[in-house]
Amino acid sequence: MRAACTLLLLAGLAAFAPAQDKTDPPKADGKPVVVPFELLSSRHMAVQVMVNGKGPYRLIFDTGAPTNLVNNRLAKDAGVLKKGDAPALPLFGMGGAKTLDSLAIGGVKLEKVPVMVMDHPTVTAMSNALGPIDGIVGFPFFARYKTTVDYQKKELTFTPNGYEPADVMQALMQKMMGGGGKKPEPRVVAPAAVWGFTVDKAEADEEAGVKVTEVLAGSPAAAAGLKAGDRLLTLDGRWTDSVADTFTAASLVKPGRKAAVVVTRDGKEVRLTVVPANGV
Amino acid sequence: MRRLAALALCLGLAPFLAARPPEKPAAKTHDVPYRLTDTKHILVRAKMNGKGPFNLILDTGAPAVFVTKAVAKKAGVELDDKGWGTFGAFELEGGVKLDKVKTRVEDLVQIEGMNSMGLAGVELHGVVGYNVLAKFRIAYDFTADKLAFEELPGFDPPAPMKIDAKGGDDIQSMGPMLKMLAALTGLRPNFEVVPRGFVGVEAEEANGAVVVRKVLAGSPAAKAGFEAGDVIESVKAAEVTTNKALAAALAKAGTGTRLTFTVKRGGKAKELTVELGRGL
Repeated sequence: MRAACTLLLLAGLAAFAPAQDKTDPPKADGKPVVVPFELLSSRHMAVQVMVNGKGPYRLIFDTGAPTNLVNNRLAKDAGVLKKGDAPALPLFGMGGAKTLDSLAIGGVKLEKVPVMVMDHPTVTAMSNALGPIDGIVGFPFFARYKTTVDYQKKELTFTPNGYEPADVMQALMQKMMGGGGKKPEPRVVAPAAVWGFTVDKAEADEEAGVKVTEVLAGSPAAAAGLKAGDRLLTLDGRWTDSVADTFTAASLVKPGRKAAVVVTRDGKEVRLTVVPANGV
Repeated sequence: MRRLAALALCLGLAPFLAARPPEKPAAKTHDVPYRLTDTKHILVRAKMNGKGPFNLILDTGAPAVFVTKAVAKKAGVELDDKGWGTFGAFELEGGVKLDKVKTRVEDLVQIEGMNSMGLAGVELHGVVGYNVLAKFRIAYDFTADKLAFEELPGFDPPAPMKIDAKGGDDIQSMGPMLKMLAALTGLRPNFEVVPRGFVGVEAEEANGAVVVRKVLAGSPAAKAGFEAGDVIESVKAAEVTTNKALAAALAKAGTGTRLTFTVKRGGKAKELTVELGRGL
């Protein structure tokens, strides 16, 4: 019974495996395109969207959505689903992962765009209350641009930035298949460069920051003036309230890049600039 | 005459003010560090009432800040009978500081579902929604490692209106299904992060080899007998010809790991064993 359930679930999930078509990157001519949005009374942003040349449809613009989503009505209307296509999962009319020929918001157009077909209950509920809403524009669209959201002017500004978003469904599928019932090992976080100092924090220490316990002579940290006994508050603008957080912040600074380091020393805040070196 | 003067004064007042509009203070922009989760959510860190940091997703699809009950408890938020509370102080990593931020306290199925399987790769504590996001002109650019939050002085975003939407919470009914999915996939989260072990060499890549440029005094590398000029040929069985290969060979090695390096010095191969230390 359990095996059968698993099979059913995985079969359902397989429908969400990403389509093979890769999105064509937007032309990177660098020109920003401004698109107005409608601020709904629920304070969601609604945009007018053309799908496969049909529309316009009213969709929610959502920075919290890892996928684009359209409902069955839009999918049928714009030819995303063929007549007689059955839902992949008998829940919320889930039609699985599809690829749109094109998705355009104002003057911003992408081709071969991944999308989920689903009658998302929240979208349906909003649609019933606020007029037709047929889906969500999410990460796979806006990640391809420097996207500026301005609620005062009710404008979105898109500038192609060359970023290629990874397919979230693919990553999730791999994760789902890889679970073995064992608790995974802790994640090891590696600094991207050599700084030359050590930090520590006592279990009972709940103050902000970590203690710098040692600064190695001749290291980039020493050259910048970091001293043992300093209380490290931020590294490259990121909070360092634990040893793990310190390493996470350092994992994001490439060798040779200037990074701001803020410490307190003798009760005063001191700002240093460290250029970590290549190495381990 | 005096009356006239008074009138002139009154009349004069308007054009005088109009001619010299109040000087707009320069809009302040904050660089807010973020990370993309494995689920492609935009993750920022926040301290609420001085507690945290907590991991929150930037979500224009949410009308307000949402946090889990556990977070609300830690931050000492008192709830009204409808499950709303207020953070006296709300701070985002990168220097965004707000006071009196309304928050909804609820264990959302989306957050719980992701946490139960560790899908995001990091523990999630809630979302940042419209009531905070609308106060800034925010530029999302995933080719950069910070988001730009530009303050909008004088702009008071209109509050979300309550919409009468039946079925708006139906997505929460997926809870049991997600729990089943978690059980069936055998995915178990481990959010623990441990630092990679420290060697203590600065190195450079030259002519298809990685050469030690400097050995930091007192470092594990110094104790193991590394010298400047050593060419790192391999770490354990892994051949090293690039910086990337060196980082990869060490990627999962935590503090205390003993690793044997093969280096070339003066034309001769030499084995050096390093016990990785604490530090970065």
